[in-house]
Order: sequence, then structure tokens, then C-alpha cells
Amino acid sequence: MARRDYAQDKESIKTFLSEFCKCNDEDGKKEFVYGSQLVKLAHREQVLITIDLDDLAEFNESLAEAVIENCRRYASIFSDVIAELLPSYKQQEVHAKDALDVYIEHRLMMDARTRNPMEQRDERNSFPAELMKRFEVGFKPQSTEKAHSIREVKAQHIGKLVTVRGIVTRCTEVKPMMVVATYTCDRCGSETYQPVNSLSFTPVHDCPSDDCRVNKAGGRLYLQTRGSKFIKFQELKIQEHSDQVPVGHIPRTMTVLCRGEVTRMAQPGDHIVVSGVFLPLVRSGFAQMIQGLLSETFLQAHRIICINKNDEISEKDAELSPEELEELAQDDFYERLATSLAPEIYGHLDVKKALLLLLVGGVDKRPDGMKIRGNINICLMGDPGVAKSQLLGYISRLAVRSQYTTGRGSSGVGLTAAVMKDPLTGEMTLEGGALVLADQGVCCIDEFDKMADTDRTAIHEVMEQQTISIAKAGIMTTLNARVSILAAANPAFGRYNPRRTVEQNIQLPAALLSRFDLLWLIQDKPDRDNDLRLAKHITYVHSHSKQPPTRVKALDMNLMRRYINLCKRKNPTIPDELTDYIVGAYVELRREARNQKDMTFTSARNLLGILRLSTALARLRLSDRVEKDDVAEALRLLEMSKDSLNQIHEHQKGHVPNTSDRIFAIVRELAGSGKAVKIADIMDRCTTKGFKPDQVDKCIDDYEELNVWQVNMGRTKITFM
Amino acid sequence: MPCAMDLPTTPDELSAQSMEGTVLKDLLKDSSRWHSIPLLNYTPLHKLKDQTLVRFRGMIQDMMDPEIYLERYEVKSSDGSKRLQDGKFRDCLRLAPGEEIDYNAEGNVHGERRTLFVVSVPGLNDWSKEHEKQCAPQMELVAGQAQSPTSVAKKRTLEEQEGMDVDDTDEGTLKRQRLEKISGTEVASASAPSLGSEYLLNSPLPDRPSMACMVKVYEDFDAYQLNSLVDFVGFLSVDPSLDAATLDVEGYESLSELQAAHPSPFLIPRLHAFGVKVLPHANPLLDESLRQPPDACEDPNPSQLTVHKDLRMLLKLCLFDDDLAAEYLLSHLISTVYSRTDMQSIGKFALNLCNLPKESVQEYTTKLYQVLELLLPASHYLPMTLDLMNTAAFAPKKDYETNKLVSGLLQLAPHTHLVLDETSLQQGKLEASGVHAVQHLAHLINNQELKCDFQYYHIDYQANIPVLVLSEGRSMLPSDFVVPINADAKAVELLDESLKAAHHYLQPSRLQQFRKYLTTARISPFNVSDEHTEMIQNDFVDMRKANVKSNADDLHGLLVLSRLLGIARGKESLDKETWQLATEFEAKRRQRLQSLPKSAQTRN
Repeated sequence: MARRDYAQDKESIKTFLSEFCKCNDEDGKKEFVYGSQLVKLAHREQVLITIDLDDLAEFNESLAEAVIENCRRYASIFSDVIAELLPSYKQQEVHAKDALDVYIEHRLMMDARTRNPMEQRDERNSFPAELMKRFEVGFKPQSTEKAHSIREVKAQHIGKLVTVRGIVTRCTEVKPMMVVATYTCDRCGSETYQPVNSLSFTPVHDCPSDDCRVNKAGGRLYLQTRGSKFIKFQELKIQEHSDQVPVGHIPRTMTVLCRGEVTRMAQPGDHIVVSGVFLPLVRSGFAQMIQGLLSETFLQAHRIICINKNDEISEKDAELSPEELEELAQDDFYERLATSLAPEIYGHLDVKKALLLLLVGGVDKRPDGMKIRGNINICLMGDPGVAKSQLLGYISRLAVRSQYTTGRGSSGVGLTAAVMKDPLTGEMTLEGGALVLADQGVCCIDEFDKMADTDRTAIHEVMEQQTISIAKAGIMTTLNARVSILAAANPAFGRYNPRRTVEQNIQLPAALLSRFDLLWLIQDKPDRDNDLRLAKHITYVHSHSKQPPTRVKALDMNLMRRYINLCKRKNPTIPDELTDYIVGAYVELRREARNQKDMTFTSARNLLGILRLSTALARLRLSDRVEKDDVAEALRLLEMSKDSLNQIHEHQKGHVPNTSDRIFAIVRELAGSGKAVKIADIMDRCTTKGFKPDQVDKCIDDYEELNVWQVNMGRTKITFM
Repeated sequence: MPCAMDLPTTPDELSAQSMEGTVLKDLLKDSSRWHSIPLLNYTPLHKLKDQTLVRFRGMIQDMMDPEIYLERYEVKSSDGSKRLQDGKFRDCLRLAPGEEIDYNAEGNVHGERRTLFVVSVPGLNDWSKEHEKQCAPQMELVAGQAQSPTSVAKKRTLEEQEGMDVDDTDEGTLKRQRLEKISGTEVASASAPSLGSEYLLNSPLPDRPSMACMVKVYEDFDAYQLNSLVDFVGFLSVDPSLDAATLDVEGYESLSELQAAHPSPFLIPRLHAFGVKVLPHANPLLDESLRQPPDACEDPNPSQLTVHKDLRMLLKLCLFDDDLAAEYLLSHLISTVYSRTDMQSIGKFALNLCNLPKESVQEYTTKLYQVLELLLPASHYLPMTLDLMNTAAFAPKKDYETNKLVSGLLQLAPHTHLVLDETSLQQGKLEASGVHAVQHLAHLINNQELKCDFQYYHIDYQANIPVLVLSEGRSMLPSDFVVPINADAKAVELLDESLKAAHHYLQPSRLQQFRKYLTTARISPFNVSDEHTEMIQNDFVDMRKANVKSNADDLHGLLVLSRLLGIARGKESLDKETWQLATEFEAKRRQRLQSLPKSAQTRN
């Protein structure tokens, strides 16, 4: 590549800064983006000027490319140009802001008074440009630039502007760093300036001024803190995020140096995107034997964005290529997406469809200040060993933000937030729990039934209001927890007991259960066809070491993730003409619920659930309008979920509770809060109620089979599980 | 010899010969060359010279960030003449006195290399170490080779051609500098606060410390996987100036990180690798990268079937005369994860031997382990005492202060058997760290994955560690197969005698047979024909009909068991007989589980 003509570039940069303008959309006026900033810089009202490379590319494409290739050089060119331009932008007298301003002013005045314009001065005795500049230049990368992972930044990126994504693992305090060291001589009194470009510098000792040199006075130099220029400086360590690490590798780290206005932008734990210049670190003057051969590298930050606070940035990576879109745009994409969820788990298509909708989520609504959540909550119930946990695990891996916790195992912080005492400062701080951490994401809670009561009460609030209120140790606050909850619960008695209601089986209050948009019972029943297919699946996996080819090929997890992100950006609305249809459907649901002895509840919450599901379906089609088909599918899913709960009751329909059940109720009552009951006591009580001993025995055996309780060896006592 | 050239013994020779990477690799393909390189693992450092060719075998414990170094640089001497110097395979600049490096020279080439933190295989048993040592070339031999007249002569001529006479003189100066530095080091290390050597060595098993070596690799960075076993060939680098204690540390933000990245080379030597062999297993008897002693090959190799019979006999003897338990234990010993799908690891065989007779249990577990230790190349016995559970580090954790992945007990190489002794667990309180330890163990058993803690998130690393749990009652940890031992009353009494007999039976030649057998069986392939697949499928449907509670996990278990039973008997594919044997065993096992005291039966 031919060497660029820097002088010419300097001219075009000058033109760019002073002439670049954008048309204001509202009034059609031209707005001088950089010109107006220069005025502010000149008046010391602004410190950082950020050059958007999009603008520069619009102005001169090759120049923008050159900036990306050799960023450090152009940063100083820009800075020089701005320094030249600034005086002409000054519109009024500027008041000195700090000591350095006053200092500079004094020096300039003195200089003008005493200097002989013809005299050549030693370079080091003249004012370095850095000392005079009171502004900083930063570049904003082009919007097409993708955020790299740390391992993609290699030696060939040295000197270039790169954008990197990562998580901050460590950051130092913000410290002052010397940019220009100013010395005074103890003999001649003249001042000497030393610009500092690296992290360390060797102080100058001997006065270079003409007086001292000619007279051989041997004047010593003393550092003047007041006259030196310092800049804020902070060192960050960033590490790759877990999704950027290939299997079996250790996450990479990178050092980021921040100066001036980009300091204090991030804290440990923050997920950030940094744009900066990748540079080798010059450490001077020691351990040459090793350090000489190696060069450490770092990223000189130009711009830091915290993604925690600003999710839109990451979406740039989410653009789908046309081929991918085409792959997704096939007719059966809804089924295909659903089957691609946890492809190793066989069947359960409707459950997977529901989970897909949970990932996409419905649309939040805020009519008149009231807030109606769009997040969909789902509870999976079922016998042990039906792959509930695997489904949860898959969803938590697929969702961009997710937390996986078990109701029993969540230690320490638990599901809600906890108040922690900082060991260093003694300050009380709030530590986010799983629900807060998963804000704007999915919280998967396994063993929901075994959750501590305190956490469960907090969930009530989360599921409807989407906030968490904390009142602990004198701290009262409300944190956002806009999460979808995906819960999995085991039946209370080991296996799902068809003879009892949902609440009794899960031992969760109806108030909580009704907050789930969909309750799903996954049951494990022997069925020849299903079993054979399952056996085929497993034997295939064992003998071929891979998933069997399915009719539809499972989609790549990354593609799914990006597609779901894309869907989330849509905000479909429900057209008026569908209102009647929805209302009609809801009324029908309520009527059915009244007529039949339903094991679930149908309430106004179901109506909202239908709306959420249908908007999620519309989002999935990337449509801005909800269609009738969406509502129909939402209703179908709701119906299927109810069916899964009700079908087991079918064979019981019309039955009065049988004797065993009634005896069980008596035993339950006898046990009270305790766990063990003597069989003799049961016999006594039951015979007084008119049951025969053989009926009691049968009941004891029946429930032992269901693993509800255990009978001891001597058959004298039963213990509830 | 297929190739007339010799391996370069120092980086100087390498650059002098200006060998292509491919030529070098071809040279290394000759196993006799590979074998003749001294093993750093078994050679004391003082016998090896800096910048010579060595080999190191071990497990990749950690991977550091890549470093950018000067692959070739220009050196200006005081008289103004310039020369180019190679920086590859070196840690230090090579400068004669008065010479200066020109950082801005056009001829400078930057390269990228990566440091891997390698520890000698954790949990490698004594016999394997002994054998590896035997296979390693003796140092005297190597020294003789290096000074063999041909190679020296060659070196001379080459050096003369290149006009590198200067090097010979600065060799001396360099050495003196080193000496000075060493004396300086001692003073510095005494005063400066430094990290403990134990922390720096980072052994996964603290009570069985491993050797550590920092291996610098120059290509295929993505080919290395954490926790895999690798044999590296390269140049040793033990220049004392590599120690962070000798550095001028002023201006460094994090002293401990610097110290962790530059430990003393005498504690942790550096190796600049150009030859790499990934080892499929840790068994030195079957390792082609080792020169086997001639007598080892002469053993008559009896058929798999007879060895299997003998081994089963032995295990039965050690397991209170319980044939079924012996079958399961044998299957466990040859088990491996042979396939992974998204969320399942297929082939794992976590075994829980429970119902150990109470009266002899105390010493029994250790005694049983002593036998297993003799059979397995690498294994570790972990008594699950409350104290250990609460205090020991199980999973690796990232220390951001030093930027090191601090190892844990569970960071083991593939096929390292973990024997957990639950009988030594007392009643008491499990602290938070203890609960985490149990969770880590459970995760390892269920998923064969190791959860590493990176503070801000966790990353799962694939593992392949067969876990055997010994317990009185049913274990509190999950397992794929729970086998209650049916102890024969007589056998319990005669335990001591039978274990003695077992040790007596294990003569060296038989031991070698067993050891080879176990590893060969582990890596053997196994097929299931379509015809048999169908049979299995139908059997499963019938099974479901007969017992509602049987589920997909049972089928997984049966498939794994039948595979292992088949392999143990030297078969290459599944036949009806083996399948029936597996179903029969499972039925028997289930029956035993049923007859366990009820209170213990919470699952299945």
C-alpha cells in the first residue's frame, strides 16, 4: 500500500471537522455536528469529542479506512487539527476552570512578553502541544463493525481500531497519569517540559536551557507538580464471555487501558463492548533479557459501552444472513424451531412450542400507567425422569440471559436479592439473587415445589408485577425483575397421583399456580408406539454416537438465539376485529370450566395469557399484527395444557372418592404435622368411622406402592415420605 | 533410518540448519528418535542443560493468554554492524556485550505463541511412574550422544559457514551473567513477598504433587484441550532470569500476577515445543511414544477371554466372593465415555458398591483400593470425610489476582479412576463449600462434566472420569449402577486371607497382562447390528409393559452394560447371549436392591 500523504489528510480532516453537517430531520436545517462541538471544546464546556467513523466514511471513505488501519497516528493528527482550529471557534472570553488553565494562560502571557520572536529555543523549553490541549479525541467505530471476541484479536490487528466484547474481571482505581512533566531549574529558573507517552518515564535531571549549558552551571531540574499535566487513568482486565469460549478452552483475557473520559465506565462483572486501538505495550528499561523478546499488548480504549445497561448494542451481531433467513422462512418453521429445542429429548412437541413462545415472549403493555407483563411463565410438572430438568437446562443455555437454580439448592443469595455487608467498608449493599440477575431474561427454577417459603412469596410479586421489593437490614427498595419464569416441579408424593388435584399433587397454592400462563403435566405412561420410538432413538444414539436424523434438521443453537432476538424486536398489536373472537373464546372457556369439574382454574389471567401467547406467536412470524391463526394456536396450546392435566382424571370421572382415598384422608389428619403414624392408631380411628380392617390394609398397601409413605418391617408404623 | 538428518539439539542448531517445520515433523515421526529424547519428568533438572532437547508428558492444566514475541530481530553491535537473530524457541534475547536490539528495524518479524501450563499426569500410580522411568532414556546415554564426534563436527562446520564465531565467545559472558543473577535471586526472593511453590505448581491432587512445566507452543493453538494428556518435545529453557523475583517490579500493577506468570524456572521449567503427541490414555505399557523395555514384549499374550476370567476371579476374591459385583466392577474398570451428544455423555458407568459388611468395612475400602491401584495406570482414592469435603478444593477456580486457574481435586486426566469412600463420612455439618463439593461430584457423575468457576460464570469442561463409590448403605451421590454386595459370611471372615492371596496371585507378569487388558478393552470398538437393535427395541417395549417404572434410563443402562460385558469377553459386536446376560444381571441387581432395607430405598 502506498504511503498516505499525511499533509493532505490533515487538510481534508480540517475540512471535515469544519464543514461536515447533517440535515436535521425536524426542521430541515443543517446541523454542523463537529463545528458545534468545537465551539463547546473551545469554551471548555466539553472535553471529549467523538468522531463517528460513519460520518467520516460518508465524507471520505478512504480516510475512514486509513483511520481504522492506523488509528493512533490519526488520533494525534485529529488532535493537532483541532488544536489549530480551536482559537477560531472561540466566541467569548473563557473563564479559567482549574489551576492548569491559569497556569497555561500565565505562561502564554509571559512568553509573549519576553520572547524574542526570532530566537530559536530548545525544543524542550517550548510548550509541548499536549500541555495546551484541554480536550480528548475518541473514535466511534463504523456501525457495520462487529464486536470481536478476544481470541479473534491477533498480532495483525496491532495499531488498528478493533471492537471487542467481554466481561470486566478487574479494574484498578482511577489514578492520575502524567502526560507532560514540567521541571524548573534551580539555577536559571527556566522551565523544561517533557511529554510522557508510556507508562513510566525517566525524569530529566540536567537543565537543557541555553543559560545553563553555555555557563556550565550544572543546574538541577525539579519536578513541578502544579505545572505538569495529568490525565485520569485506569486499567481494566476483560475476559471472554462464556459463549465465546470454544469447548475445552480457557477464556482469554485482555488488558484495556482507559484514559481521560473513558475511565470509570465499567466495573468488575460488567459486560462491555470496547472499541480501541490494539497496541504493544512499551515497558522501558528493565529486564531486557526476557521482556525485550516479548511484547505485551493492550487495548487503548476509545469508547466503552456497558451492555448490561444497553442491550441494543449486541444486536448488531444478531443480523441474520440471507441464507439463514431463507432457511428459517420455510413453511414449517414453527414446528422446526420447536423441535430444535433440546433435540435430544424425544417428542413433547407442544411443550417445546410453549417453551419457544416463552423465549420469544409476549408484548408488554402499559395502558394508563397500568403495567401488564408480556413475559410468559410456564410450569412443567411430571413424574421423575421425564426430562424436565434437561428441558430447563437447555432453555437456560439457549436464552441470552438466564439463570438456572434449583428451589432446594439455591444457597446464600437464593432467588431474591440479599443484603450483604461489605467487609471492607462496612457498607450494606444489595446483592442480586437469581431473579434480579435474570432481569430481561429467563429464570429456570428446578424443584419449584421444594423452594423456601420466603422465596416463593417473592415470586408472587415477580410473576405479576415484575419487580422485587426488598426490606432487609434497613434497606428498602424495589428492583426490576422482568423475567419469564420456567419452573419444574415434582409431584409431592414421588409420582403424580391421579386421585388428587393439581394443588395437592404439587403442594403449591392456587394463587401461585394461576400466575403461570401454562401448566404442563408431562406424564410417563407405557404406550407401545411411543416406547418403541423411544427405544429406537436411544439405541440409535448408542450405536451411532449421534442424534438420529429427524424429518426436520435441528437448527443451530446460535442461529436460534439470533432469530429469537430478532423476534423480540417486533411489537405486534392485536387488531380490533379480533377482539370479539378472543372474547368469545374466553367466555366459552369460562363456561366450560363452570360446567365441568375442572382440575385447573380459569380466570381473567387466562385471558391475558391468551393475549401474551398470541402476540408471541405473531412475533415469531416477525409480523406486526396478530392474526386469527395466532389466537387459535394460543387457544390450542392452552387447551392442550389443560388436557394434559385433565386427561388422567377422565377415568375417574363420576367416581365418588373410593374407600382408600377416604382412609388416606383420615391418616393424613391423624398424622397432622408429624411424619409417622402408628398403624394401631389408624386401625382404631378407621374402625370407629366404619371401615373394615382389610380395607385399611389395602389402603396402606396402595399408598405404599405410590411411594406416599413407607411401612416399617414390623408393620407397626407408617412414615410419610 | 529413513532420514539421515539428526534432530537439532538446540535452537541454535535448528536455526542454523534452517529446517522447515514439516521436515522437523517428519524427523519426529521416527519413534526411535522420539524415544531417545530425555524425559523431563524423570530427569533431575541439574542433569539437563539449558536450551537442549527434552520431552515432557502431562496433562494440560491451564492455558495462558498468547504472547507476541520477536520471531526474528535485528541486532546492532557497537561497531555499527547488523545481524539477524532468531527469537523462536527462546525466552531470552541473545545479545553479545555491546550489542543492542533494534526494535524499529524493518526486518523484525513478530510471532505469536501460547503458553500451556502442563502438570505431570495427576494420580498416576506408582507402577506407571516406575515403568515410564524405565522407558526413559538414561541421561548418560544422551550426554554421550550429544557429544558424539559426528554431531559436534557438523555443528562446527555449520557454525563456521554461518560465520557465527561470535556466539562462542558470548556463550561465556552469558553464563557469567547468569551466575551473577543467581546470587542476586537468592537475596531478592528472601525479601520480596512471593507466592508459595505449592500454589505455583498447582497440583490437582495436593497430597500427590505433580511436576509442572510451562510449555510454549507455536502452532495449532486451538488443537489443545484442557485436561488432555500430551507428550511434548522441545527445547528446555531454565534461564534464571526468567524468574519474576529477578525482575525489576517497579511500575507493575499486579505483582502477584507477574509472579504467577514467571515462576522460578527451577521450580517450573519452560519448554518450547515443536513436537506434540496427544496421548489416548495414560497406560505406559501400551504407549508407543515410550521405548518399551525389550522383556516387556516377550510376554506371551493370552486371549482376552482367559485374562477376563482370571481378572474376574481376582475381583471376586476381593469382593467377598460376589460374582455379580465382580462383573459390575470389571465393567466399571473398562468403562469410558465413548460418545457425547448435546446433553448426554454415553458410556459412563458410575458404580456404587454398597452394603459392604459393617464389621470389616474400615480397612476394607483401602485394601480394595490397593488392589485397584495395582491394576489401573491412574487413579485416586478419596475418603469422603467431613473435613475433606468442607475444606478441599474440588473444582478448579479462576484466581483473578494471579490470573491462574487454581486446580481442584476433580481436575483429572481422562480415564483417571476416582474412588470415593463414603464409609469414612461421619455425621455432622456440611458447610457451604461442602455442599458445593457434593454438587460438583454429582455433576461429574451425572454429566461427566467438570464445572469450572470463573466467578462471573461457569464453564463446563468435558471429563471422562469413572467414579466408584463405596458405601455402607446406598450412597448419597447419584450413580448409574447401584450394586449391593451379597457378602458371603465365610468370605467376610476370610477377607484378610483372600486379600493376601490376591496380592500373591498378582505376580508381575500377570499384573502386566491385566493392566494391558484393561486399557485395550477400554479403547476397543464395539458394534450393534441392526438385527440386534430391533431385538433390543422390542425387549424394551415388553419391559415397559411389565413394569411401568422402567424408563429410558434403564435402557441406557442396559445398552452400556451389554456393551461392556461384550468387550470384556473380547467380542467386537453385540450378540444375543451378551444382551441376555446384561438383562439377567440387571434383573438380579434389581432384586438385590428390592431386598435392601426399605428405609434406604428412596429411588428406583
